[in-house]
Parts: sequence; C-alpha cells; structure tokens
Amino acid sequence: MTATDLSLPHAGTAGGDATATCVFAVRRDDAPEWLPESPGHAGGGPVGLLALPGGGLQAVVQPVAAADFTEEALRRRLSDPVELERCARTHHAVITAAAADGPVVPLPLATLFTGVDRAVAALADQRAHFLAALDRVTGRAEWAVKVHVEPSEPARAAPDEGTDPATVGTGAGAAYLARVRGRERDRRARQEAVLRVAGHVHEVAAAFAVAAVRRTPHSTEITGKDRPQVLNAAYLVDDARAAELVAAVRALDGTHTGLDVHIEVSGPWVPYSFTRSGEGTGL
Amino acid sequence: MTTLDFPGTAGTYSPTPSTANLADILERILDKGIVIAGDIKIELLDIELLTIRLRLFISSVETAKKAGIDWWETDPALSSRAAENALARENEDLRGRLAELEGRPAGTPRRTRAKAGA
Repeated sequence: MTATDLSLPHAGTAGGDATATCVFAVRRDDAPEWLPESPGHAGGGPVGLLALPGGGLQAVVQPVAAADFTEEALRRRLSDPVELERCARTHHAVITAAAADGPVVPLPLATLFTGVDRAVAALADQRAHFLAALDRVTGRAEWAVKVHVEPSEPARAAPDEGTDPATVGTGAGAAYLARVRGRERDRRARQEAVLRVAGHVHEVAAAFAVAAVRRTPHSTEITGKDRPQVLNAAYLVDDARAAELVAAVRALDGTHTGLDVHIEVSGPWVPYSFTRSGEGTGL
Repeated sequence: MTTLDFPGTAGTYSPTPSTANLADILERILDKGIVIAGDIKIELLDIELLTIRLRLFISSVETAKKAGIDWWETDPALSSRAAENALARENEDLRGRLAELEGRPAGTPRRTRAKAGA
C-alpha cells in the first residue's frame, strides 16, 4: 500500500475547507490486504492507509475538517458527553477493525496533525517504538479483569445489648463504644479480605500474562453505589493462553465465601494498555 | 456490562464498539492524555479533569439529557467560559466587599495594590 491509496484533496491547505490528518493506529504493511470500512469521524473523508517511510509500516488515517479539530473545537466537543462518546466509539471502532487481521499500535484519541506530511514525519520519528510495540503484541491480546464487591447480606442485627442488665446504667456508654469499635473492626477486616481477593485474582491472571497493568478501579458512580470495584486490571496474553486465563479467573468467581465478590473478564481487546512506551509491567 | 463470552477464536477482537463499556474504552484511549503524538495539543490537565468528571455521568448521559441537566456546560472544571464567569463573579464580589470594608463605593479606584490576598 502507498500513500496514493489515500485521497486527501485539500490536505494541509489553508482556508475554511482545510483538512487535518487524524491518525488512529500504526500497523505492519505486510498484513493481509485491508480496506477500511469504518466511516471514521463524522464529516471526515474516507479512512485510509498511509505508508510510512522506511518501509514495513502504515498508518490508519482519516482526513478531517481542520475547523472541527482545533484545540478550542476539540475541547468543546470532548466536553460534550454525547460528542465525546461518539468520538471515543468511532476511534475504538476504527482501531478494532484495523486489528482484525494483524497487530496494531493504537494511538490516543484525537491524534491529529496539520497535514499528511506532518503526520508522516512525526510518525516516522517513532518508527523504532512502533516496530518494538508491534513485535511485543504480535500473537497477543489484551484481556481485562475486574473484581466487584457485590452487596453484602443485610448486616446481621446486632443483639440488643441495651436490654442486657450488664450494660444498663453506667455501663451503657462503654458498651455502645465497644459496639462501634467492633463494627469498625469488622468493616476493616472485610475490606482487607476483599483487597486480598483482588490481589489474588490479579496474581492468578498475571500468571498467564506477559505483562500486566493495574488501573485505578472505577468509581461507584460508574459501577453502582452498592457495587464498588476493587480490581481493574489489564493483561497482555499470548493468544494460545487466553482460554486458560479466562477459565482460571472465572473459576475464582464465587469461591470467596462470605465476601460476595464478582469477577468479570472481557476481551480480547486491542492491546491499548501495552503499546505505549513505559506502559505495563513486564512479568 | 463488560463481561463477554470468550469467543473461542484467538486473534479476533470481540468487544464490539457498540457493546464495550464506554468507561473501559475511554480509560484506554485517553489514558496518559491526548497530548502525546499530534500537532494539536490539549492541556493534560483538561483531559484529566474531563475523565474524572466523565466518570460521574457516562452511565447516565441519556437520563441526564432527558432531564435537561447540562451541568457540564456550567461546571468550571469542564468549561473554560464557565470558569471565567465564575472567577469574574467571585472577583466582582470580592472587590465589592473590599470596597465596603474600605468605606468607598465599589466602582472607585483603590489606593492599595490590587494584589489578591493583600
């Protein structure tokens, strides 16, 4: 494939109809013939392939209206949740499609250049990184594992110690404090147990992976108030071992009696979490 | 939700764009900021704030829209214009109170330095 596959009629020109170049991903050019079918960002030109100098690499790009992708326009659009979701899902769709028949290095949302020449030059500068990242993820995919704490059974009704003769009178305050301390102890113990489970699930999953990332768990605004997340991790896994990881992690679901943890596995994902320099812990 | 059946065929990517959890997508494609690669740069701070704020509404954007909730347009963390408005209002308010303390009308020039916190 060559750059002539890409029609960018006004690339880099000034004026109201100027186009910018949006880059989604970089892939090897010896991958099977791939014709981008995703429409890409609304209002842009066709998604296409752009050969990078030095051979071997091509970028998945789309010409977009420069006016829609200025710093100010982007900030405004990405602050609109509906527009942000549309942009994010478009970006993800193009990258996922591009990865269907070969490894890709996905680029961050809204990786934009003022024109094709700028894109080629900037991406060429990262050639060594792209080649290394492609080698790293070839034959591998990202799998996500999350652990949630399900709503606990209704707290057992504490014995009504107020009616206990031993606690009436001057003893009542002390008994109350003891109860409060007891509840706090139980809460902490439960929290520690849950975190141990999260750590254990992570260890089990990581044993099948070549690299792992533990992200900050999602807040309860996303997961639901009664369903805090305690593990939000991603693993880079050889395709041959993916089924083992999924089975091993799922086998842990429901085995932690009394803790009501729920384990989710999703994948395979394009290895977003393992293609940027410095990301992911080697195992 | 994000739990997807294991597809059985390695090498194909099953989290279809329509079913993958938006939060999962965003933390992957925004992680570490938008600023790295391109010519058009957005302050990392903006994006961090954005993703933090985002976590509050992405589960219920449609609900919020229907209810006419548009706080993201007035939230200082999300809108620079809103931030300017909020700062301008606060500034005006503080000037007024300072003038009051100094016993002069709010519009008149001050003798002292205009340094905040003075």
